[in-house]
Amino acid sequence: MWNPYDALDANTRRMLGAGAVVVVLGVWCLLSGLDLVSANKLPAPWEVAEAFVHLAWNPDKGESPLGAATAASLSRVAVAALLLIAVGVPIGILMGASTRVNAALSPLVDPFRSAPIVAVLPILVMWLGIQESMKITFLFLGAVVYLIPMVRDAVRAVPPTYYISARDLGATPWESIRHAVVPMAMPRIADAVIVAVSIEWTYITVAEYVNAEVGLGQLMSHARRFSAMDQVFAAIFVIIGLALVTHTAMTAVKKRLYDWELE
Amino acid sequence: MIELDGVVQEYPKPGGGILRVVDGIDLSLDKPGITMLLGPSGCGKSTILRMMGGVRPLNVVTPTQGEVRIDGERCDGPHDDAVMVFQRYANRPDLSVRENVAFPFRLGLWRSKVPASEQKERVDRILEQVGLADKAELRPAQLSGGQNQRVALARALVLQPRILLMDEPFGALDAQTREEMQELLSDLIEANPCVVVFVTHDVTEALLLGDRVLVLSTQPATIADDFLIDEPRPRSALWQRSTEAVEMEERILKQLHASGKGQVRVSL
Repeated sequence: MWNPYDALDANTRRMLGAGAVVVVLGVWCLLSGLDLVSANKLPAPWEVAEAFVHLAWNPDKGESPLGAATAASLSRVAVAALLLIAVGVPIGILMGASTRVNAALSPLVDPFRSAPIVAVLPILVMWLGIQESMKITFLFLGAVVYLIPMVRDAVRAVPPTYYISARDLGATPWESIRHAVVPMAMPRIADAVIVAVSIEWTYITVAEYVNAEVGLGQLMSHARRFSAMDQVFAAIFVIIGLALVTHTAMTAVKKRLYDWELE
Repeated sequence: MIELDGVVQEYPKPGGGILRVVDGIDLSLDKPGITMLLGPSGCGKSTILRMMGGVRPLNVVTPTQGEVRIDGERCDGPHDDAVMVFQRYANRPDLSVRENVAFPFRLGLWRSKVPASEQKERVDRILEQVGLADKAELRPAQLSGGQNQRVALARALVLQPRILLMDEPFGALDAQTREEMQELLSDLIEANPCVVVFVTHDVTEALLLGDRVLVLSTQPATIADDFLIDEPRPRSALWQRSTEAVEMEERILKQLHASGKGQVRVSL
């Protein structure tokens, strides 16, 4: 039992994982079924399921509120993720590759990891208005302050032998970074991007809190206003599901791209 | 070809004060052949080798005094004619054997020096010479430690350096592989004559490979003994047991014991 290096076979692992979920669901069913908690605070699982179906397809209007919301949120996360990769990764690499760049930029980046990024939202609204650019900028900022330090650390974690040996072979300092250090850091940089995109998902409801016409966050705040807790729960589960799918897909792509990664 | 003139190296000690690791080394190497730098582990021999390669330990001025010259010119950084092979081979795990050997040709310096057609020719030839022609498309993780060191060796020799610097290259290999690599190196030097400076703490290795053996004292490193070995390579087990070889070994061990602390190895 108490062995952190124990090799667990896939079946046992799945059984234990599913078991925990079943236990939580069971407790939830009991709480709701026996009316131990008011449905206003905790809707029953079946109510959440009903809400999910209700949101998934509206026969009167002939449209899917949940589908539209998911598409909107997904595209915001995706655009912010592209920005994240285009801006955060290069800055992180430059900081990792030069102690000077790092010394100059880290006071601008590192403190924001513990800054209340949500408090920045009103400022962004002032600067950028209440449209898409504000929401995407918020998602981007919320995640990039985590991404940059992680990318920097990934570059720094490459053993110095690679840099030294490339320099000795006649590489310029920049060539050594480009051809010897960065390629070695890529798997960990990819991990950092995956974590940063996961962080974006946690911020999506906040980003869509202000003036969203459509989106999962909007769906939730709308439902909350009408005390439709079952719909709030349904939307939370959809976000968790989407985050999980994104994570799994990105991990699979990373494993394919960097199949040589050393343990 | 390569000269060390009154080279001294000092490092600041962590707790304050100064540690002199290399003290007054004068050395001149101009003929192709293998020169062994033999000394106990931690005696400063790698520091000397790195100075010759222009590989600067970060944040420390090297050398503290004296200078390293290649062809009479003061050498302050990596030199095109001096290439180093490290004990940790620094092969890129995402590239194939062939791509690793051809790695220097990704760099501006060698792309401009060696025409593309010749690059491929050189890579093919050296892969053949190190015995990896049939493994050219494999990745480093699919190779043994000895084969990985062959890749590192090939990557250095593909540049046809006049000076090859080897920092305990076979130190991490098992005894049998080490022997194979020693034989391979001796063949390679035959085919690609250059000045080889080979750092080791293995007395037997020094006697097997060296045309010249420099015995270093420890902390600070000074040249305690310097002699030539005329016996042609490969040197047989019979020669290793000859009076000449045994006397040399005793001479080295006596010298090393006289200089005190540190570990050397004598493999049988």
